[in-house]
Amino acid sequence: MITLTHYLLVSAALFSIGLYVILSKRNAIQILIGIELMLNAAILNLVAFGKFDKINNGGQSFALFAIVLAAATTAVALAIVLNVYRRYKTIDPDKINQLKD
Amino acid sequence: MNMLTLFIFIPALFGLLILVLPDNLKQTFKYITLAATLIQLALGIYLYLNFKTGAEFAGINHEQQFQFVQKLPWISLNLGNAGRMQVDYFVGIDGISVLMLVMTAVVMVIAVLASWEIKRNLKGFFALFLMLDMAVAGVFCALDFFLFYLFYELMLLPLYFLIGMWGGVRREYAAIKFFLYTLFGSVFMLLIMVGLYLSVTDPGTGNHTFNLISMMNPANYSEGSVFSLTSHQMLFGIPARVLGFTVIFIAFAIKVPVVPLHTWLPDAHVEAPTPVSIILAGVLLKVGGYGIIRICMGIFPEVAMSGAFWLGLLGVISIIYGALNALAQRDLKRLIAYSSVSHMGFVLLGLASLTAEGVSGAMMQMVSHGFLSSMLFFLVGIIYERVHDRDIYNFRGLATTMPQYTTFVMIAFFASLGLPGFSAFVAEAFTLAGTFKSELVPHWMAVCGSVGILLSAAYFLWTLQRMFFGKELLKGGESWKQSLTGLKVREKLALFPLAVLALALGVMPSLVFGKINDSVLALIEFTKQVVR
Amino acid sequence: MTSTSPHIDTVVVTCTLLAAGLPLVASAVNFLLPAKTGKASGWLSVLAILGSLAFAGIVFNKVWNAGEWSVQQEWFTIGNTKVYGGLLFNNLSALMLLLVSAIALPVHIYSTAYIKPAEQNRYFTYLSFFCFSMLALVVVNNLVMLYAFWELVGFSSYLLIGFWFTRDNAVKANKKAFIINRIGDIGLLSAIIILFVQYHTFDLAALFGHNGLVFNSSIHDGVWVAATNQLPSVWQFTAFAGIFLAVAAKSAQFPLHTWLPDAMEGPTSVSALIHAATMVAAGVFLLCRVYPLFNTTELDILAIVGCFTAFMAATIALTQNDLKRILAYSTISQLGYMIMAMGIDAYASSLFHLVTHAFFKSLLFLCAGVIIHEVQHIKDEHQLDIDPQNILYMGGLRKKMPVTFIATVVGCLALVGLPLTSGYLSKDSILIQAFEWAEAKAWYYKILPVSILLTSGLTAFYVARLIFKVFFGEFKLKEILPDINLHVSDGSLAYRLPLILLALCSLFPLFSLNPFLYEHAWLFKGFLPVDHLARENVYHTIVPAVVNIMSVFVVYWAYAVYIQQRKLVFTQNSFLFRLSYHHWYIDTFYQQVIVKAVMAFSRALFWFDRQVIDGLIHSFTSAGKFLAGLSAWADRYLVDGFLLLITQVVKGIGSFFRSFQGGKVQYYLYSMLILILTLFIIKILI
Repeated sequence: MITLTHYLLVSAALFSIGLYVILSKRNAIQILIGIELMLNAAILNLVAFGKFDKINNGGQSFALFAIVLAAATTAVALAIVLNVYRRYKTIDPDKINQLKD
Repeated sequence: MNMLTLFIFIPALFGLLILVLPDNLKQTFKYITLAATLIQLALGIYLYLNFKTGAEFAGINHEQQFQFVQKLPWISLNLGNAGRMQVDYFVGIDGISVLMLVMTAVVMVIAVLASWEIKRNLKGFFALFLMLDMAVAGVFCALDFFLFYLFYELMLLPLYFLIGMWGGVRREYAAIKFFLYTLFGSVFMLLIMVGLYLSVTDPGTGNHTFNLISMMNPANYSEGSVFSLTSHQMLFGIPARVLGFTVIFIAFAIKVPVVPLHTWLPDAHVEAPTPVSIILAGVLLKVGGYGIIRICMGIFPEVAMSGAFWLGLLGVISIIYGALNALAQRDLKRLIAYSSVSHMGFVLLGLASLTAEGVSGAMMQMVSHGFLSSMLFFLVGIIYERVHDRDIYNFRGLATTMPQYTTFVMIAFFASLGLPGFSAFVAEAFTLAGTFKSELVPHWMAVCGSVGILLSAAYFLWTLQRMFFGKELLKGGESWKQSLTGLKVREKLALFPLAVLALALGVMPSLVFGKINDSVLALIEFTKQVVR
Repeated sequence: MTSTSPHIDTVVVTCTLLAAGLPLVASAVNFLLPAKTGKASGWLSVLAILGSLAFAGIVFNKVWNAGEWSVQQEWFTIGNTKVYGGLLFNNLSALMLLLVSAIALPVHIYSTAYIKPAEQNRYFTYLSFFCFSMLALVVVNNLVMLYAFWELVGFSSYLLIGFWFTRDNAVKANKKAFIINRIGDIGLLSAIIILFVQYHTFDLAALFGHNGLVFNSSIHDGVWVAATNQLPSVWQFTAFAGIFLAVAAKSAQFPLHTWLPDAMEGPTSVSALIHAATMVAAGVFLLCRVYPLFNTTELDILAIVGCFTAFMAATIALTQNDLKRILAYSTISQLGYMIMAMGIDAYASSLFHLVTHAFFKSLLFLCAGVIIHEVQHIKDEHQLDIDPQNILYMGGLRKKMPVTFIATVVGCLALVGLPLTSGYLSKDSILIQAFEWAEAKAWYYKILPVSILLTSGLTAFYVARLIFKVFFGEFKLKEILPDINLHVSDGSLAYRLPLILLALCSLFPLFSLNPFLYEHAWLFKGFLPVDHLARENVYHTIVPAVVNIMSVFVVYWAYAVYIQQRKLVFTQNSFLFRLSYHHWYIDTFYQQVIVKAVMAFSRALFWFDRQVIDGLIHSFTSAGKFLAGLSAWADRYLVDGFLLLITQVVKGIGSFFRSFQGGKVQYYLYSMLILILTLFIIKILI
């Protein structure tokens, strides 16, 4: 029997993995993947909690909406990464520190 | 226009003139200064001739008995509950000050004549010179303590620069030493002045006042105030009035100078240029003596009486100590500086006696020393200007090289060592007579003081023997002999009047005593009254 | 004008003022004239002193034996004291006025020849000034003026001793003379001040006159009481001591006599006038003026000192070789007689001896001047390196200089006190009274008359030695230089006239018609007290006889020693000879002990001044500098350091937080994570 707790555990794991990826990777693409993981963890939560809204299926519909948005932001982010690479010849976020001041 | 005000501010006026004139007129500055001092001398003679004598013009502690008085309100501040702060421009003279003024005027003219040797920065020199002249004249006229203090401090500034900028090799050292010494004294005097101000009220207006004459009247002290004669307040475990007297006395004793507060004097005299030495010895030292009479004895007569022994002792020590030190010198100017210490010791001794003879003798000694020390320093200046050396052992037989110069030196030396016929004799003899007569100082002090007369003969005659007599022998050889030319007209013009004055005062002491006698008697009477 | 006596003679006053004033005028004119005037200056001064003598004569004529009176005019007022200038007329002032001008005239005439014309202007300026001071000194009526002229006399003596100021010895001598006289001066000044405080007046007549203030004061139980004031009696003695110092300095008495022999460095004419006849007598004159002040103890001190000085100086004169020094010591010795006479109450004799001594001693000095002048000529001519004053180079001059020889012999006889001279009268009167004085007292008082008798024997010896060495035998220089050209003579009239004049004055007729009895001398009588009792006793016969016989023997002895070349009594290396030759080592003692001590003390005081007093000031300065350094350090490290610490802390905190803003996105996230976790943890825990 798979309960809500299992969903949440998976989601938490995903989120944690995403967070780890974001904090530890030296590659913007990987970070982007980490973000996607965390986003997906959130979406998984939305879908899981959707069982409490059986009439409108708010969870699922909101998840769909979020997936679309995630795809869009990923596209934008990739474009930025591409532009960053063009300019700095690197996509290591540590080395791109000219925004700091 | 008040004559005294004119007398004081004429130099300042001419000083301003010098300041605004362009530098290319600098050769005229000395003549402008000379003109200023000559006008001042004319005014001084006018004051002397028109000075009225008699018991009703004695001055001292009676404001209405002062002459040539001018009293204008000057600083007037309303301090609310504390009353009004009132400072007057108050000048006037009595017998004590009139001769000081005349002497100052004469010495200043001589000092200008000695300033011909100054070659650098004439504008600054003469402007400061005239400022000094004004300050000195002001000190002798001021009857308001605040005004007095102002002029007193104003003397320091020009002197500091005159010594420090136009002096000899160690001029900075001497100037600073002089400045700090004098400032040390006067700063504490300021405290006493404020204390006196807070103790004394003007009987007319009821306000506190700086009026020196009001301060002399014990009735003007408010009940229970610090310096009140009746309240016997203590400060730091010492009676307040004794402390006040001591502090002011130290301030003036530094000026006089009294051993052991004298060591600024040899340095300052030796390093100062001739005109400044003349003013220092001729006038500045008398400010000390005058201050002791006018302020220490005027305001604290009972302390002066009870402390007479110590004042007399300091006087005797100064006489003998100065004379013995003079005997050990080989720099002519330093010798004369120490002889000044010795001669001014007589002033203190005479004042301590608080007898008419002693105080008159002290006054006479101040006037006489004013002329004689000017003459002596002028004479040293002449020889220094010619060969830039003053060491006694570098000269011999100057009487052959410079006979006229030697004549003047002999006149100055013998007058200084108290030869009868010259002013110093009358002064010293009566100082000692007064000392012996006094019940305040022991008799032996008069006898000890007379040893100073013996020692002064020793050091002056030894100097004559070493420098002026014997076979001619100069350290600089032929080139010195070329430089040691006879006296110039200007130098004779300066020396001759001084010699004549010294002689005139010795033959006719009434020129001095006639003018001061009433005031001196009034002073003695006043001190006795206060003590009673 | 006020007066203490009803009869004021304006003629006398005018004459006195003129007598004293004329030399002053001459001096002033000479001072103002250019130095080239030469002989004219000399004659101006001679005229002035001639006028003085004439006026002094008039004054003497009117004042002698005519009582005492004075005139005075206010000079100045000091406090409540009026100081007068005035003249006092009595026998003493009249006599001294006449004496001074009478001695001064021949000396002036003599000087016109003796001093080189080029130097005469300066010389006569000084000499006339001296005459003015001396004449004024003897007539003034109060102590202030007395002191003033007393010092002026010393001052003119200073100028004249150092007249040849390029000679080192002369300049040292005049310094010494003035300083030693100054010791006397401060004594006199102290005495005057004490008298002034005690009696409230300076007037001589009021103080010391008959029934005057001093006469009416007394000493009871250690207090000196006068009508006007009272002082501890020690001050009476101090006043005496002061006057004694003054007298000892001026009249060259032990212990202040050492300046007089040195003063012989001056021109000989000056020595004749000042250092033999007039100025040195001023001490005796002062004693006369203030005589009533002294009590018996003090008079005894005077007598002892006078006697000792007379004896000591005579022993020194025995061995000296310098002609003028012999005479100088003889002067000291004779002054000792006068002081002693004062001490033994022989007031009149003392003054009598003063006058006679003035004549014969100035005569002797002028003679010495002629001799020295001639020897100097020889020295200059042959360029010899000798001392022209040394009697060992002289001899046999009696034939070449007859006038000088006779004059010297007259002077010497008077000095020895042989009959028919003035010296006989005055000296014997002192000796006789010395014996009379001692007679009434204890036996040891006899030492005094005996030693004074001995002194007169010594006088005879050194006088004889001088005469024989200078005038007898052969001229000593001839033995050294056989071909020497000796044209020695008495010189011009300007030399001879004064000698003759003074020689005549040294004989008895001027003073007494009876050459053997001093009591008959008019001068002696003029000074006797009213109640004087003439005592006729054995001494009046014995003493003159003994003195004269002794003198003749001594002179013969000297003749035997110096002319017949017999052996001396004591050899030249004996202690006594050396003691005498080196002036009893007194001068050496003063120089080595007193002068050196004073100089060392003055140098020590100067060291004290520089090192201790100034050192104290400097240490104040250093202390101030140290404090300033300390506060500068504190300012820098403490006050500033605290501020610095605060900034450091702020800066540290700032940079800590700044490190969060690394520009690293992941770091931001990381910190955000930590923050959130912290918040959670806090929230859970609380």
